[in-house]
Amino acid sequence: MKNLQNKVAELFENGTINLMIGFKEAIHKLPVPCFIDNVSQIEQLIFTPSCKGNLAVYLHKIEIKQAKKVGILGNIATLRSLVQLTSENQLGDIVKTVITINAQGEVVVFSTMDEVEAYVQANFPEYTDEDKKLLEQLNAMTRAERWQYWTEQFSACIKCYACRAVCPMCYCPTCTVESNQPQWIKVSSQTTGNLEWHTMRAMHLAGRCINCGECGRICPVGIPVHLLTAKMNQEIEDEFGAKTGFSCKSGYALNTFKPGDKEQFIK
Amino acid sequence: MDFEPKIVAFVCNWCTYAGADLAGTSRTKYATNVSIIRFPCTGRIDFMLLMKAFENGADGIIVSGCHPNDCHYTSGNFHARRRWIVFRSVLDFMGFDTDRITFSWVSAAEGTKWAGLVDETTEKIREKGAFTDFKKLDVETTNQMIDEELAK
Amino acid sequence: MNIYNIKSSQLAAFFDQLIKSGKMVIAPVLKKNGKVFFEAVQSYDQISTDYIQTGFSAKSVVFPKVEELFSFNKTQDGIEITNNLHTIPETVVWGLRPCDASAFNYLTEFFLKENPDTYYAARKEKTTLIAISCAKADDACFCTSVGLNPGSTAGSDVLLTVMGENVYVEVLTEKGTAAIETSSALFTASEEKSKEEFLAKITTVFSIDEVKERIKTAYDSAEWKNASMGCFGCGACAFACPTCTCFDIQDEGTQDSGKRLRCWDACGFGLFTKHTSGHNPRTNQTERRRQRLLHKFKYSVENLGIVSCVGCGRCIRVCPAHLNIFQNILSVTAP
Repeated sequence: MKNLQNKVAELFENGTINLMIGFKEAIHKLPVPCFIDNVSQIEQLIFTPSCKGNLAVYLHKIEIKQAKKVGILGNIATLRSLVQLTSENQLGDIVKTVITINAQGEVVVFSTMDEVEAYVQANFPEYTDEDKKLLEQLNAMTRAERWQYWTEQFSACIKCYACRAVCPMCYCPTCTVESNQPQWIKVSSQTTGNLEWHTMRAMHLAGRCINCGECGRICPVGIPVHLLTAKMNQEIEDEFGAKTGFSCKSGYALNTFKPGDKEQFIK
Repeated sequence: MDFEPKIVAFVCNWCTYAGADLAGTSRTKYATNVSIIRFPCTGRIDFMLLMKAFENGADGIIVSGCHPNDCHYTSGNFHARRRWIVFRSVLDFMGFDTDRITFSWVSAAEGTKWAGLVDETTEKIREKGAFTDFKKLDVETTNQMIDEELAK
Repeated sequence: MNIYNIKSSQLAAFFDQLIKSGKMVIAPVLKKNGKVFFEAVQSYDQISTDYIQTGFSAKSVVFPKVEELFSFNKTQDGIEITNNLHTIPETVVWGLRPCDASAFNYLTEFFLKENPDTYYAARKEKTTLIAISCAKADDACFCTSVGLNPGSTAGSDVLLTVMGENVYVEVLTEKGTAAIETSSALFTASEEKSKEEFLAKITTVFSIDEVKERIKTAYDSAEWKNASMGCFGCGACAFACPTCTCFDIQDEGTQDSGKRLRCWDACGFGLFTKHTSGHNPRTNQTERRRQRLLHKFKYSVENLGIVSCVGCGRCIRVCPAHLNIFQNILSVTAP
């Protein structure tokens, strides 16, 4: 950690950044997000494999945008988020430094998004074993079994929108669920309304989600919502060859098209 | 009373709606189970509309527009096609019966095709039976749980 | 208060008798994903006995996440309006912790004090609370800092404290007596005993009296910004909290028939305070989180005389960023 902390201290001292978004240890020895704006706070900064949050989500906060010179710590998922957000023109100019720790334990510092992109493309991750297993299980079920599985899961959903809040791609100032003329997605957390919400979320994230899995990890009820978006990304990659969080200049699969897109189901 | 399926059709104004019109002026007889909703283009069709149709009582859905390369707005149907590919995949993954939704390209000259499509879809849905999956999920408040408990 | 003893091995029989007596019993159940939630159960072997705290509180028994206030139906003769108040069953909540039980005292003050809420009243009337003292706690628990303790009887109808092979039973109310009487043969009268050695040891992080005093002038503290930076503005803390009572009213249906629903809402949501004029008095998360914490420790004291936080720690556990309410209170009230 000393290497990391020294590097960050340097960046503060030479004026490259005035705010560092990273992790610190907190209750239950859990790493939690921390926001350092002063060299004196550097010692709390940590970055270990158990640092699971996707910090890119904070880049949309008003207080962070005001800082103007932001450094951010990230695992590969966060880096992919940054690449995807760049391709969607959401970052502006505020991110000055991106830091990660590679597989060899070395601190790697990027000063431009192109550098981040190169690193991401060289280290593009796969699904975790746990997720692969769950996806396989779901794919192997019959349609009726899948319906049973998802409606049971969604009946427990409480519409806390933590899945939306924690997603770096959900940055709409007014989410579809918040428009009420008409109330397009039901507010009540009954299974039909929950189904509407999760379908809508999966569709709005299809081709944009970078599979960090945070939404499923933090769901207070334990619904694996990240599998819906993971499945969608798989579809989009298979059908249209588009990988999310891969290039700073990629388009969005659902607002582009190829005249030769193939399907079997249109009569 | 025999089950008569309720079919909702989301169609584009320039091709399929005109095709349905042609079926009408040609006095083609076809199933009356369909309620047609006219859109300027299939590109306008929001995937949630399909879900809402099922929630509000539809047993089957038809979504139809101009053939690729013939879209009145040049590329609306291309965007729609991509959206449908992804949406069908979400629905299937969640265990929804995607056979209840029929997608097609019907041009303004294809009145007969339209009639045939409606007949075919109506028959298919009639065989499948009424769509009750959403109704069964309805109103799962504590009240319903309580009713069930009391009934025991 | 009446004190009894029941053998630990007989708890299952008592539990099953409550079910046989026709009550709906809600108890903690271990789910496949490893989390424990309150659910309606049919027998003792379905419940979890080895948990520190459930994911969500038991408030949904008296304040459900979705509650149908009434339904309406247009007929030829006019509009029919019906409600389900008469279908609420006798309910027993088993296994809530002393912090959760004391939360019900706050809920009752909130819902019944000035304009009594018919729905809350109807449900609370039919609810019996059988709490179990805490033998274990984790770092998120801080009930001793808000004037409670792991063996507190506040709010319970019956409090059970496991003491090895025996269970110390404190019956606080008539409802509690009625519950015991479903299996009176299993209970024997007992003398008063100290629960101390069987209760979890919980670190006290602040003095509630000091906090109540200092928080009166904490509104402008610069620490609020630091306390709220990690907050994304979801509703998880409010929904998990046993004393959060904010709700939204939604009408669902068509012109001919439908229902009016009361659904949980959370002050953490960005649009919670948006006015129809378009003005939003709380425009950033710092202001929203400050409101939440001040409500728990200042505004509810001013309005109802009770600190509404019960130290259960659920907000800390469910928060995606693990924001820590007691650490934040300490920092904003630091001298």
